[in-house]
Amino acid sequence: MNKRTVVLAQSLFVLALFAVPSFAQDEEALKKDLTAVIALQGLPCGEVVTVEEQAETDYAVSCKDGNMYRVYLNAAGRVVVEKRK
Amino acid sequence: MARYAAVLLLLFTAGCAKVPPDPRASQPPPEVVATQAAAPQPVATPVAPTTVRPAPRVAAPRAPATPPVAAPTAPPAPLTLDLDALEAQLKATKAIGFFTKISLKNQVDDLMKQFREHYQGKSGPTMTDLRRSYDLLIMKVLSLLQDTDQKLASAIVSSREAIWALLSDQNKFANL
Repeated sequence: MNKRTVVLAQSLFVLALFAVPSFAQDEEALKKDLTAVIALQGLPCGEVVTVEEQAETDYAVSCKDGNMYRVYLNAAGRVVVEKRK
Repeated sequence: MARYAAVLLLLFTAGCAKVPPDPRASQPPPEVVATQAAAPQPVATPVAPTTVRPAPRVAAPRAPATPPVAAPTAPPAPLTLDLDALEAQLKATKAIGFFTKISLKNQVDDLMKQFREHYQGKSGPTMTDLRRSYDLLIMKVLSLLQDTDQKLASAIVSSREAIWALLSDQNKFANL
């Protein structure tokens, strides 16, 4: 293995090391955002614990209190929160 | 080549470094800058601290009864209202997420619609109802901002009455 390959491998390792917390931060920011949206609609949730992206700006979320919602942006530009069963 | 790796490492670490907010740089809480009229607000007043300081066991000697010196009252700061700047700051702030911003905008649009209906004489909400809705909406925005963007929260608190003055005046509202 030549020196260039070693350096490349090390760089990729460092990149992976810092990329993982960045994804985690994005995930946490999204959960916080969706929690705020649900609260703004006056719906019970407590805190969003899991988020599943169904499409762009369309998420299926589950809350700490057991409630599940679909949060999406409709064609009219409104954020809609629908209760899921 | 090792130099490149070192530079790359430095770039990553610099990009991911999270500087904790300097508490000294934080703005004063919104209550300080609030220059609001005494309008009825459904705002829950902060709960008084439950801890009570123990009274001193020995009574301190009384000071001579001198009238309290009134603190020099600073003239109230003029209400400056720059709606465009506030809007730009709200759009730019990272304290509110994408969906939350759109949701808030939806609620602002709904409130504006209610004002229009009110001024058109339709059987819509009364001005008292509108004031309540306005206060609630402002509170929602402040609750989202106050911990992470105190500067903008303060600006909104300062502009709160000026914005209401625009909304509650039919002529001014028509020009918005």
